Amino acid sequence: MYRQNRIKAVKSGFICRLGSGNTSLETVEMSNHLKCMENPVKIRQYPHKPAQVYLYGTCLVDSFYPQSGLDAIDLMTRQGIEVIYPQGQTCCGQPAYNSGYQSQAKAVALHQIKQFELDIPIVVISGSCGGMMRHHYQSLLADEPGIQSFCDRIYEFSEFLLHVLNIQLTDTGEKERIALHTSCAARREMGSHNTSKKLLEQLSNVELIEHDYESECCGFGGTFAVKHGDISVAMVEDKTKHLLAAEPVRYISGDWGCMMNIDGALAHQKQPLQGEHIASYLLERIVGKARWKAS
Amino acid sequence: MTQFKQNVKRDLNDPQLRDNFRGAMDYLMDKRQAAFTDEDEWTILREQCKRIKQRCLLKLPQLLEQLEENLQRNGIKVHWAQTTEQANEIIAGLIAKAGGKTVVKGKSMVSEEVALNDHLEQQGVECLETDMGEYIVQLAKEHPSHIIMPAIHQNKSQIGKLFAQHIDGFDYSTDVDTLIKAGRNVLRDKFCQADVGITGVNFAVAETGTLCLVENEGNGRMCSTVPDLHIAITGIEKVVETLNDVPPLLSLLTRSATGQAISTYFNMITRPRQPGEKDGPKAVHLVLLDNGRSQAFADEELRQTLQCIRCGACMNHCPVYTRIGGHAYGTVYPGPIGKIISPHLLGLQATKDLPTASSLCGACEEVCPVGIPIPKLLLRLRKESVQPRADVPQTVQGQGAGRKPIEAWVWTLWALVHKSPRLYRLSTKLLTRLSWLMPKKLGPWTVARTAPKLAAKTLHELIDEREKQGKNK
Amino acid sequence: MTNLSARNNILAKLKRQVAGTDYNNLPKESGFDYPKLSHQQQLEQFVAHLQNNHAQVIKTSRAQIAEVVGRELKSLNIDKLLYGKNSQYSEEIEALPTADMKCRVILQPFDFVVEGEAKQNLFDNTPAAITGSHSAIAATGTIVLWPTVDEPRTLSLVPPVHFVIVDANQLYADFTTLINEQQWHNKMPTNILLISGPSKTADIQQTLAYGAHGPKKLVVLLLDC
Repeated sequence: MYRQNRIKAVKSGFICRLGSGNTSLETVEMSNHLKCMENPVKIRQYPHKPAQVYLYGTCLVDSFYPQSGLDAIDLMTRQGIEVIYPQGQTCCGQPAYNSGYQSQAKAVALHQIKQFELDIPIVVISGSCGGMMRHHYQSLLADEPGIQSFCDRIYEFSEFLLHVLNIQLTDTGEKERIALHTSCAARREMGSHNTSKKLLEQLSNVELIEHDYESECCGFGGTFAVKHGDISVAMVEDKTKHLLAAEPVRYISGDWGCMMNIDGALAHQKQPLQGEHIASYLLERIVGKARWKAS
Repeated sequence: MTQFKQNVKRDLNDPQLRDNFRGAMDYLMDKRQAAFTDEDEWTILREQCKRIKQRCLLKLPQLLEQLEENLQRNGIKVHWAQTTEQANEIIAGLIAKAGGKTVVKGKSMVSEEVALNDHLEQQGVECLETDMGEYIVQLAKEHPSHIIMPAIHQNKSQIGKLFAQHIDGFDYSTDVDTLIKAGRNVLRDKFCQADVGITGVNFAVAETGTLCLVENEGNGRMCSTVPDLHIAITGIEKVVETLNDVPPLLSLLTRSATGQAISTYFNMITRPRQPGEKDGPKAVHLVLLDNGRSQAFADEELRQTLQCIRCGACMNHCPVYTRIGGHAYGTVYPGPIGKIISPHLLGLQATKDLPTASSLCGACEEVCPVGIPIPKLLLRLRKESVQPRADVPQTVQGQGAGRKPIEAWVWTLWALVHKSPRLYRLSTKLLTRLSWLMPKKLGPWTVARTAPKLAAKTLHELIDEREKQGKNK
Repeated sequence: MTNLSARNNILAKLKRQVAGTDYNNLPKESGFDYPKLSHQQQLEQFVAHLQNNHAQVIKTSRAQIAEVVGRELKSLNIDKLLYGKNSQYSEEIEALPTADMKCRVILQPFDFVVEGEAKQNLFDNTPAAITGSHSAIAATGTIVLWPTVDEPRTLSLVPPVHFVIVDANQLYADFTTLINEQQWHNKMPTNILLISGPSKTADIQQTLAYGAHGPKKLVVLLLDC
């Protein structure tokens, strides 16, 4: 049977794009071939390092995983920039948007954009919420004046660290093997698999191992996991199987949605493997485990 | 439990089926990947093909008229069907008029869509599928589980048993060459005897009045060459403007579908048999089917559904399809494309589970050779599905079929909370303080996962505290 | 007539939606610029694709057609060959029985209409056929046939072995180039056929098998001298 000579990792598309499809084909570099075309692919231009940024913490981090938010702030503060966390932020609106309740999503989305009035970057510590705010707001809030410039200010955390801060990480941790899980929206709308990978590769003592079907969805998908629980379970069971087979000591992700799903399944299977948000992981690697824990 | 969810449960719990699909999808994904090695070529070709299809759709009514005019001039008769019933009547009528008794069929998903075989068999016409995969599926009295590889849900030992049961003198074997040879022998006699051949169409060229067929086996050539009567059936969206539109679409079609640079055969039919010619059908007919396509056409966003060239790449890369297989969908077109086309063919009432059965991972859109934004269209259908019902639906039949008053109320309440920072902070604070009240079992979530734990304090609170202590200055 | 009203209903519905469209401002459809290959490189590409698709390619010359076909038929243990009289290469093919060979080949001209007994005979008693070709495509390893009265459509379809003669001078870089250089849109024949290998299927557990319904074997005589 074919499966015996397995493919190592399923790569469906190509890796260097920041997005795909109709609305959001973006890239960091442009080849000569692509330059000849009539604008199907946009180049994302990155600004110089700003003095201030906003942090968008996401509702999931707010109530379940606040440490990741604090770590993201610490990490960016260490780079000499001021991080502003507007207390009026709530949720990007994706849950309602993905469920078809667009007017409800719109009301919530409108509320978010009012919380970020300064013309400075908005760093989102989730590729999925970042994709929502960077790409889907453009159609959801198409009538809203200034929506494009708001969307242009959205950066996924690892993208911001790599391309705007040009961060240089000095690894102080012990040698270890890790795996990376990128959420599908982060991968396909924000290109976070590339930026996360490049950041993790800066860590000299960290071995990033690829796992089978790395680009395949973990089965979270928001309300999908509840509405079609059976399918979602089948997907997350496979995802945990492939992660475990790669034998990492932990796996890293930029999205707590996926990690809530995968960690939940791993814990249910009584597996010790757990996920770590990339913000926390990077901070821990540069300040050392003890100091990170103390914070 | 809805039919779809019952199907899903049944098929998820069939390890053999799961294995068959996983193996097949791995194979097809690998094949496709090997066929696209130059990222720039893929990006440019895909954009070109998307634009070709969008242009042809923008010109659809005039291209259909041009196609009809040119086909008729070439001697190919054109028929129009708004519904599946009309399509079946037209085809049955043509066969009856020609006194046809035996039909050989090339692979055609549109003929599955109208359930042509059932209709013809009721009329006493023997209708034999001749694509190997379709033949297997017909023997097993099943339906295709994949639009390109219909029998992908069966493995060779299952097919060996099926052949042993149905083909006279065939001894059980799992040798694929032996199996194919057995199929070939049965079907070869039928090609020779049949008086009617029915096929689908991959591209109908308006400029020249030409029907194009893509295939590997040669059964499509047999069906469109050997019997005296050839009837082709296709959806109205398959028309392209010029011959020049064909090569890029063909290239992406075969590479996306099976990783082939081109299919073994590409058959371009422009006329029935001409005086002096020694073979070819004496009469050729084309049936153009609407069946809900004009509904999708009526909305600019949903119209993109009709760009589809039926390569099947979206299903090959879909993590949901890979696990539940093609039959669970309960529709002729499974997988991501099935989820966005079926609501137009059948209405949302009958398909309301489909748009929600996706994690919106976007693998389908990523590989779609004509750039259909499938996740976006799923979102749009979700929106149509939960809208208030209307006697005259604005865009999709069955609008509001998925609407549950409680769910709508919950989302409204959710929006109320999330657009008010005070209500939001109050509720998250309450939630985190009352986390001990949170049940350990959370419905489908905790079937295979532990419940997530709420933090002791929210990020909002923690940052507030920090700022008060002047730590974050 | 329901048929006519169906037509008018469908067209009316569609026309309503695109009324007033400005067709002069459609987005440009630029294609990919493939690297230009020399004739020699194109030949190599053509052969590589065909071989990859399980076709047998023999480089030869017009003068050697009979000899090559005879040798191949002998190795396949076939003594009958269906061909088109008065076709492109009929003179060369007709030299076959007299060619210097130990086994005799019976040449059957395709001089019958495909019906009744002749049709049955074509399906049951025709082990091999030979045709010329109209042109060929390098990019995909494709042979283009324009079947004619002398070399009808079933000649390249029904017999299990198909010999096809391809003139290397008729090789085009890709399908688009071929269509445009030959202005196909002005002169489409009854049928055009693009062939890129022997008939095949992977419908049973993704396992390739050849000779599903069309020829199991495709032997390409590439006239390259």
